[in-house]
Formats: sequence, C-alpha cells, structure tokens
Amino acid sequence: MAAVCAASRLLGRKIVSSKALPAVCQASNRKLHFSIYGKKGDAKVSDGISTQYPVVDHEFDAVVVGAGGAGLRAAFGLSEAGFNTACVTKLFPTRSHTVAAQGGINAALGNMEEDDWRWHFYDTVKGSDWLGDQDAIHYMTEQAPAAVVELENFGMPFSRTEEGRIYQRAFGGQSLKFGKGGQAHRCCCVADRTGHSLLHTLYGRSLRYDTSYFVEYFALDLLMEDGECKGVIALCMEDGSIHRFRAKNTVIATGGYGRTYFSCTSAHTSTGDGNAMVTRAGLPCQDLEFVQFHPTGIYGAGCLITEGCRGEGGILINSEGERFMERYAPNAKDLASRDVVSRSMTIEIREGRGVGPDKDHVYLQLHHLPPQQLAARLPGISETAMIFAGVDVTKEPIPVLPTVHYNMGGIPTNYKGQVITHENGEDMVVPGLYACGEAGCASVHGANRLGANSLLDLVVFGRACALTIADTNTPGEKLSPLKPNAGEASVANLDKIRFANGSTRTSEIRLNMQKTMQNHAAVFRTGDVLKEGCEKMDSVYKSLDDIKTFDRGIVWNTDLVETLELQNLMLNAVQTIVAAEARKESRGAHAREDFKDRVDEYDYSKPLQGQEKKPFEQHWRKHTMSYVDPKTGKVTLEYRPVIDNSLNAEECAAIPPAIRSY
Amino acid sequence: MFSANVARKAVLSVCRASLRPAVSTVIARGYRGDAPEPAVIEIPLPPWQDRTGESLDIKRKRLLYESRKRGMLENCILLSLFAKQYLNTMSELQLKQYDRLINEPSNDWDIYYWATEAKPTPDVYQGEVMDMLKEFAKNKDMEQRLDAPNLEYLDKSN
Repeated sequence: MAAVCAASRLLGRKIVSSKALPAVCQASNRKLHFSIYGKKGDAKVSDGISTQYPVVDHEFDAVVVGAGGAGLRAAFGLSEAGFNTACVTKLFPTRSHTVAAQGGINAALGNMEEDDWRWHFYDTVKGSDWLGDQDAIHYMTEQAPAAVVELENFGMPFSRTEEGRIYQRAFGGQSLKFGKGGQAHRCCCVADRTGHSLLHTLYGRSLRYDTSYFVEYFALDLLMEDGECKGVIALCMEDGSIHRFRAKNTVIATGGYGRTYFSCTSAHTSTGDGNAMVTRAGLPCQDLEFVQFHPTGIYGAGCLITEGCRGEGGILINSEGERFMERYAPNAKDLASRDVVSRSMTIEIREGRGVGPDKDHVYLQLHHLPPQQLAARLPGISETAMIFAGVDVTKEPIPVLPTVHYNMGGIPTNYKGQVITHENGEDMVVPGLYACGEAGCASVHGANRLGANSLLDLVVFGRACALTIADTNTPGEKLSPLKPNAGEASVANLDKIRFANGSTRTSEIRLNMQKTMQNHAAVFRTGDVLKEGCEKMDSVYKSLDDIKTFDRGIVWNTDLVETLELQNLMLNAVQTIVAAEARKESRGAHAREDFKDRVDEYDYSKPLQGQEKKPFEQHWRKHTMSYVDPKTGKVTLEYRPVIDNSLNAEECAAIPPAIRSY
Repeated sequence: MFSANVARKAVLSVCRASLRPAVSTVIARGYRGDAPEPAVIEIPLPPWQDRTGESLDIKRKRLLYESRKRGMLENCILLSLFAKQYLNTMSELQLKQYDRLINEPSNDWDIYYWATEAKPTPDVYQGEVMDMLKEFAKNKDMEQRLDAPNLEYLDKSN
C-alpha cells in the first residue's frame, strides 16, 4: 500500500484512501510561491518531473553552490565579468562556516620583515609533504599578495601596524629563506574576525553586481548529461518547491565534511554536500583520507582554540609541566606544522604524560602572557574556554585534544579550478564543472594544510574559477537542451526520505557513523583497526536503507534536511576510511602506526645516486581517486600522479622531495 | 602585475596619510579591544526584514532550522539547546525578537559575545529573549553541553 501511494505520488495520480494522503492533498492545494533575490529571470514551472513537487526551471550563465568565502568570491567574480550568476546556498551567506575563521590569510607582503612568495611556496610544498600539486601551489602563493591587496581595496579592514601597513603575525609552518631563516610573519588578519570580515566584504560587493542569491535552498544533485554538468537541482526550504538551475557552468564551493566524526571543530553545516553530489554523479573525489586534526580543540565540545594563540606565545604542556614540543620540533616548537603537533600530543598521551583524570588530553597554557595582549589579540578565546571548559585563561591552562578540523581532500581540480578525472594516464576536464575552497582539491594542501592557507585558498581559487569561466565563455550563451525529466532521481530520493518509516532514526545512524570514524580513523591509524572500521562503516551505510524520519511536511523540514545531509556525510565517510585503510604509509595528516614512514619513489633520506626509481604501483606519492556505488556503498580506488613541476620553472623552481622535519 | 603594484602603493600611501594625524590612537585602532570601532567604511548590507504572512507554526519551524545551522560550532550548540528549551513556547512577540536576534547580525560571533556578556548587547537586540539567552548561557544547572541535541524531542509519536 505504501509503495503504491509512493508511486502514485510521483506520477501525480491521486488514490483515495488512507492516512498517508492528507500530506499529499495539502501539497497539491498549496499555492506555488517562490522568492528570487536579484534578477527575476526566466523562471518557469515545469511538469517534467512530478506534479506533486512543483518544479521551477531557471536559466543562468553560471550557478555557484555554496556562499562561503570561495563561493562568494566566485559569484562576485562572475557577476563582475557580466555573467548572469545564481548563488544557491543552504545558509545566509554571512553565516557560512567561513565566519568561524579567526586566524588570517597568508601572503608574502613583506610588512614585518623581508619576504618572498617563493619562500611561502616552499613552506606550502613542504607542509603538504610533497603530495601537493606544485603548479597549483605556485599559482596560489604567487597570487597571494595581489589577492590580499585586492581584498584591502574591496574594503576589508585588516589589522595594521603603527606605520599603517597590514599587520602580519607568525603562524605554524611559515619560514623565511626556504626554511633556513627562522619564523616568518606573513599571516594578515582582521583582529580575530578575518572570516567574518571576508564574508561581509565579498557579500556586500557581490550585491552591487546583481548576483541572484537563492538563500536557504538545499542543493540536492548535479544535473549531468553525457558527462557534462548542466546545472544543479535544489529544494527550496521555504515552500518545498524544487528548483532546477540550468547553467553552462557550475561551481561547487560547499565546504568540508567534519561532521562525519564525533568530535570536530566544524559547525553542524559541514556535511560534505558537494563531495556527495559529485560522487553520485559518478565522478571521483581525491585524497579524502587526509583529514587534519587541529592540535587545540577544547576537550569535550571540540570548539577550536585558534593557532593564533600559539602564534602569540601560547605553549603546550604535558602532565610534567614540560613544553614537550621542544623535543619533537626543536626549531619551530609549538608552531610546527599541525600534523606534527597533533602527532606529538597523541604520543605524549599514549606514553602516559596526558593530563586530567583519564590522562587523555594535554594543556594549552596562556596565563604567562600579559592579559592586555590576550584581550587585544585573542579576545574570543576567554569566552570559549570559560563556557565549554570552565577555565579562566588568565589563571589556568585550557584542556585540549587533537580534533578534526579540515579536509585536505575533496573534488579534484586543476590549478584553474576545473574539475578533472584521470583516464588512461591523463587528466581530463569535466565540461561545465568547477570546484573551489575546502570542497575542492587543487591540490594545494596535499597531505597537510598549513594554518592561514585556507582563507587564501578560498579567495585565490574562487577567483580562478571565475576567471577560467570568463575566459572560455561569453555571457548570454544559449544553453544546450536538457532532458525534461532531469533530476527525477533526486526528487524520488527526497520523497523516499520524507516518508521513510524504517526502524532506525536519523540521529542513531549518524551517531553510529561518527563513533565508528572517531574510533577507527583518528589521528593514529593501524591496519586491523582500519579494516574493522571499513566493515563497520559498510554496515552503517547499509542501515540507511532502514532509516526512519518523523517530519512528513515539506516546509522548513529540518529532519528531512538533516537526513539528506546524513546521506551526504555517509558517502564521504566510506571513502575516507577505505582510502585510509588502503594507503600503507604515513604522510602528512595520515599517520599509521604499522607503516611509520613515507613511501616515495626514491628513499629521500639517503642520497639518490644508485637508487632505483620505484614504479608507480609500488610507492605512495600519488593522489587517491575514490568512487562509490551509492546503492551498495562499495568504494573503488584509483590513483593519480602528483604534479611536480611549477607553472614556470624560471620564475619558481619546483622543490624536489626531501625528508620533512621542523 | 604593474598596475597591482601601483594600486598597492597608492592605497598604502593613502592609509599612511590618513593615519598620520592620529598617531596616538593607531595602536588601539589596529586591534579589536577597548578602542572604539574604527571609522572604516564597511559596506552596508541590505537591511533585515521581518517576514510577513508567515504563520507562527511555520515561523517556529524556520527558526528551528536557523538555530541549528549557524556559522560556528559554539553557536550551533548554544542556540540549538536554547531552541530546544524555549522555541515551542515562545509568544509571537518573543518569536519576532528571536528572529531578529539570530538573523540580523552579520557576525555570528557577536551573538555569542552578547549571550556570554563578553560584549554589551546593542539596544536594538535588548529584550526578553536576549535576557533568556544570557541566563541560558550561564548554565546555572551545570548541564553538560557537549553537543547540539537531536531532533527527536519534536517527534510527537514519542
């Protein structure tokens, strides 16, 4: 009976009977109402998919999914270039997770000391543990000073030195003279609200160019036809209508997927929606096993204590009161790269020098710093420490633990922001599809991201997507035809979830997934634990078939949206754990106890002369490309070589791999 | 590249020129703290508007979504727990106040600082709901606040 009702709902015919029907009747009696911000374009109602879910078709030159730093920069760049652009976002733009960013943006402006972007390039390549693509890193670090100046010109109120130049602070992993000149100060910030300021500035600017914002629309899937991306289909939460945004160019900027783990610093909105859309379209995701654990997340709630604390002089101490980072990273100490610090903290805990009743975390000490400095440069820390840890930072140290913070992996792109696949040994561009920000993997962060490089990544690659689209398209181009029932499967899935009546609730399945990931794919990973995790994740994935939701409405249905997000998270989680199990080495943020060393094509700890180069299949200095069959949850892995040459060997010499120590 | 350098020099010289007469306040201006907000021309965003024609039930559902989906984890936890406790029993006036409080400010951190009383609440947001939120943030009952709650409390069949 339920199945027949479901089928009839989709086909639009009414069947007189049972309790399921009232929800359907309400839907068909509702007047269609949608609000479009900006241009009232050629939106027309279509009967192509279903009459129970009113479908509205829009045509644009470009559609951007996500309105965080990267999405806004792309949307703004496209509008400025004259393209009729739509920006589809599930949150109001200034409420994207970018607002949480307190650190800053790295750029070799040279305001605090002499600086050179090639040193920043070196630091980033080394920070990525030689898994980053050096052409993309060259592009990003060379563009960095211009990008920061551009933001300054847009009106972003950077913190300034006494002479009025942009103040730059120290940040982890940044050095001078290719690692030989000591700590570099190249992180530009707006007090502690760089993320907010970036969003506010870009959103304000983009409105002048008449970008059409579709706020609180949840993007469901990409509209793919013949291997080309022709747009996006989304659910309007305000009235439950379905919208198809047809465009020749789609930019995905949906952020990361921290919420696959039980303890993470991310907001509840980081659900990997873009990665999942790409996976369902049959395209690969890259390097998902590389999950960054930020050294200082508050023990318990997971809220982040910014690296800026250590930049301003904070230190990590163990149960013996020792500044243990001096042992693990003699030069950089507490400002070593994040993966080095996270691993050091985990080793201290496992060797019994942890603090607290269970000795399962360490302390971050700030009370040796002058209170005015704390108040002026790091004001937010005091509140967070008090509310979520009950600690007064001027008197006591804060309990911290490595917490999931960032996803280096994502949708593979080239340095221009175009999404690629790897076939027959070559990178092939997917027409019409772009990705930037945390959702994209250009790859500039490789196996580990340096602090303050992410905001830089957002603006540089958001702009790169806009530039690439502007170079290869003209505004107002006619769109290629789209099948009238494109997106039908997404609506069918939505309907199925809305009326799901299995035996396990959304929150239970989500908790199972999060606990599995937390216990089996955390900072230190071992073969058997990972294998067990893969099997558990497989059964958690299959439990999605038996899910139970309780809200049957279609307007502002948070239960439905959180279940769709769970589907997306699940796709990200299975790829992460299977790729982690397969990678038998330790590199960057992926640390394995059973394979402690990096496995490159040569052994770089010894002189290269006389060594034989290992074939591609026998070393691990390569990108993982993962695919999932959404019906079964089965993951397939392929590999793609790292790009070792910069964009221009004369301007910037590529950095050959070496042993990474700080 | 050339024009970017010229632009940069021009901007920097303008900045230096404008700061020169007020040397003594430059240090305070650089960092957020007790100094008054610098006279920076922040791009004005379109003003927030109250939604008309929305039934109270729908408003509650919308505010639930908007409480749970915030810019950073601290607000996600704080506001979704607050919504669980108070949203379904708020009066129409309180709902309007709450709507404005969580939707108008452009910086999510500000809502957090006002609720925790780290910064003074601007007059436009003062009111019953702000007081309720401040009390709630104090956590007098010392309940564990490690994460946002599940939605099951809304399931009427429970």
